[in-house]
Amino acid sequence: MRSDITIVFRTAAAALLIASAAGSMAPFPAEAASDRLVIYSGRKEKAIKPVVEAFTKQTGIQVDLKIGKTSGLANEIRMEKVRPRGDLFISTEGGIMEVLAKDGLLDPYQSAATKAVPDEFKSVTGAWTGISGRARILLYNKNLVPEKEAPKSILELTDPKWKGKLAIAGTRERTSLAWAASLVAMKGEAFTRDYISKLQANGLKILTDNTEVWQGVGRGEFAIGLTNSPNYYLAKQNNLPVGVAYPDQEVGGLGTPINPNAVAVIKGATNLATARKFIDFLLSREGQRILVTQDYEMPLLADVEAGEVLPAKAIKRPAVTAQRLAELEEPTLALLTSLNPNW
Amino acid sequence: MTQAAPIALTSPAPTAARGWLAQAGVIALLVGVGLLILPPLLYLAASAVQAGSLGAVSIGSLGGLVFTTLSLATLATTWAMMLALPLAWLVVRTDLPFRNLCRWLAVVPLAIPSYIGAMAYIALLGPVGSVNAWFTTLTGSQQQWINIYGFWGGVFVLGLFTYPYIFLLASAALEATNPSVEETARSLGESPLGVLRRVTLPMLRPSVLAGGLLVFLYALSDFGSLSLLRVHVFTTAIYHQLNTRFDQASSAMLSFVLVLITLAVLVGQRILLSRRSYVTITGTARMARPLRLGRWRWPAAALTGGILGLSVFIPLGVLLAQTGSGGQFLEVLREQGRFIQNSLVMAGMAATLAMILGFLIAFTAKHAQRRTGAVLTGTIQVGYAIPGTVLGLSLILLYNTYLPWLYGTVGILVLAYLIRFLTQPVQGVESALAAINPHLEEAARSLAASPGAVLRQILAPLVRPTLFAVWTLVFISAMKELDATLLLRPAGFDTLSVRVYIHTVEAEYAKAGTLALLLIAFTVLPWSVVTHLQEKKIV
Repeated sequence: MRSDITIVFRTAAAALLIASAAGSMAPFPAEAASDRLVIYSGRKEKAIKPVVEAFTKQTGIQVDLKIGKTSGLANEIRMEKVRPRGDLFISTEGGIMEVLAKDGLLDPYQSAATKAVPDEFKSVTGAWTGISGRARILLYNKNLVPEKEAPKSILELTDPKWKGKLAIAGTRERTSLAWAASLVAMKGEAFTRDYISKLQANGLKILTDNTEVWQGVGRGEFAIGLTNSPNYYLAKQNNLPVGVAYPDQEVGGLGTPINPNAVAVIKGATNLATARKFIDFLLSREGQRILVTQDYEMPLLADVEAGEVLPAKAIKRPAVTAQRLAELEEPTLALLTSLNPNW
Repeated sequence: MTQAAPIALTSPAPTAARGWLAQAGVIALLVGVGLLILPPLLYLAASAVQAGSLGAVSIGSLGGLVFTTLSLATLATTWAMMLALPLAWLVVRTDLPFRNLCRWLAVVPLAIPSYIGAMAYIALLGPVGSVNAWFTTLTGSQQQWINIYGFWGGVFVLGLFTYPYIFLLASAALEATNPSVEETARSLGESPLGVLRRVTLPMLRPSVLAGGLLVFLYALSDFGSLSLLRVHVFTTAIYHQLNTRFDQASSAMLSFVLVLITLAVLVGQRILLSRRSYVTITGTARMARPLRLGRWRWPAAALTGGILGLSVFIPLGVLLAQTGSGGQFLEVLREQGRFIQNSLVMAGMAATLAMILGFLIAFTAKHAQRRTGAVLTGTIQVGYAIPGTVLGLSLILLYNTYLPWLYGTVGILVLAYLIRFLTQPVQGVESALAAINPHLEEAARSLAASPGAVLRQILAPLVRPTLFAVWTLVFISAMKELDATLLLRPAGFDTLSVRVYIHTVEAEYAKAGTLALLLIAFTVLPWSVVTHLQEKKIV
């Protein structure tokens, strides 16, 4: 006799069947992945994929790429600590690497290639290495700001003539945090607090990310945006009327920071040797050439052609080490959020 | 609600063995659901307790967050109801022009991820969007005419892209309720408006509340569109804690508060629903003769057109304007075929499993003791309230530690979709079952129909439209899901929503637009098939 039970069980059995059938059909990258290099990248696919393809072509090593937000992937690496799934992590900023290194999540690696990177763009312990850089810039809308009126220093932005016309990404863009931290390093906490409060009083708009900043400036919602150098080229590529100012370049000026994009081996990586090989490839002449031309980044190595963009050496920057910057990020964040929770 | 027999599966002459089996079945289901949903919740609770503080969020700003989040969700739900109910009634009950087409179109907004909808509306109604630009050209005034950013923009966009939740359940319920009740009321001299107010709407209450709850919970857990629209709510605060401070403890604490709010909302809904019962006396869902709108026909059509214009044509138009030439379109299609397949397989698996599980759970919940049922469905609903990012991270920790063979495969994605979306089929089927008069079952059983026959021949046909509707709902939700997918997908396994995200972040808008349109098209596909089959009376 048929009963509810049989129906319930039959349906359950059907569900199980479907699940297992679907399961056996679906790919199982984790099992097959033992010899495939797994890269977690907060850097854009557009910038990283061509390098990965060149690497595969040269070495025959297959790569699985997981693109995401730098901070999201960093959280993922923390969660995966007991059983790491990625081999390499590529981030858009150095400070986050320091956070991970402090938690013992990175595996230091030093080689001839990493030694060529200037000290200010890598970890002293070899936990991570810079692979390319982005300068902090003032992006302005040419229709709203004539070129000769463009501010030459970030300190000019507190001028009432820019009231309500300024934008910056919040600290979920790590480069904004690094920028503020370098200001703390150079001028101290009291000065930074006063400066940021004045910017806020001048109507500084804190946006979600840098894309919003360059688009907002490009479309004329804002006259000036504090953002990173590749965004200037990106906005130009999108036919937006933008100009760029590298601020505080005069003699005795503050300079403007360059944030490195960084790479590190994840501690416990399954493919340690290949992961290290990939880092050397990234820093090789060919790797650098591809990386730098894809997304308007600055080469950090002295002998690599910068192409269309300004090379790092052409920019005056604050003399702050990556370690100091990383130490300052936590107190800087506290300072910023105490001024406005939206930071 | 009429109190049913304590356990399901009591039939006229229960044997001891069958009673035992029934108990075992219910317990197995409870354990299964518990194992699925409770671990991430317990993990949240444990981290919250461990944290003991809210990190950078002060108690004062927590109050503000709660207020903003709740008012936003309430207003978005109200707005969604204002859009959904007239539409549902017009397309099911009247001779509205192009009613079948409209009925199909009314579900399309659900296929448009709310973050994509938000981007389209920012391009249109942002401070430097097209509308302000036109206004400036027309009047010469530099004054800003409209600004979508902020709280009201959030309400507007969320309601616009979630009203189909209510529409789907309400129109399915309208279909399933016997129109002869309304006809009788009309023949007794009740005005059409009176019929609507006193007969139709009360009958729709369970499904409207169920749909409204889905919208409300969606608004509580949405992150993408609200962060784009610069509204500061719980999810954006959680994201902030997690992604700039790496403060998992205080993000867990905030998520836990969000879960508690959800629980309160669920209890509220239970109370609202249990006040009265609405049942259909007979099971035959005979098609009503459509109500003639007469001179109201064209105003009604204009209203429908307006709603569909805002929620379908305008966003799709903006996306279309973003995409490149036809050649580029084909290029993208070729290049991204793998991701389309990934999305379809994942969403199809999640939807099928969720539909089956949802039906079993709703059925068990209806027949189990009231409290057991409420706990069962309540637990599942809470899963919907965990923000995707937080859920993703907690699943990584739990499954990578305890079931590492599952994590790192696509199975973890299906699992996450089940946790997030299982409430949709449970809610849908539950409200459909609630509309069925238990006397119908009792009558059949008293005529010696076996319980299986009751299920197959009476309940299944009555809830079938709802089953198709809930399958579609889960499929659509899973196709769009981004936050958890971003974290949980195995390296190298991208879905369409992930691709849209990547290309948007990388400012490749032509590609992002094309992929968004593809995502919408493939999400709409099963819905089209279902409606087609329904029209042909095949299902």
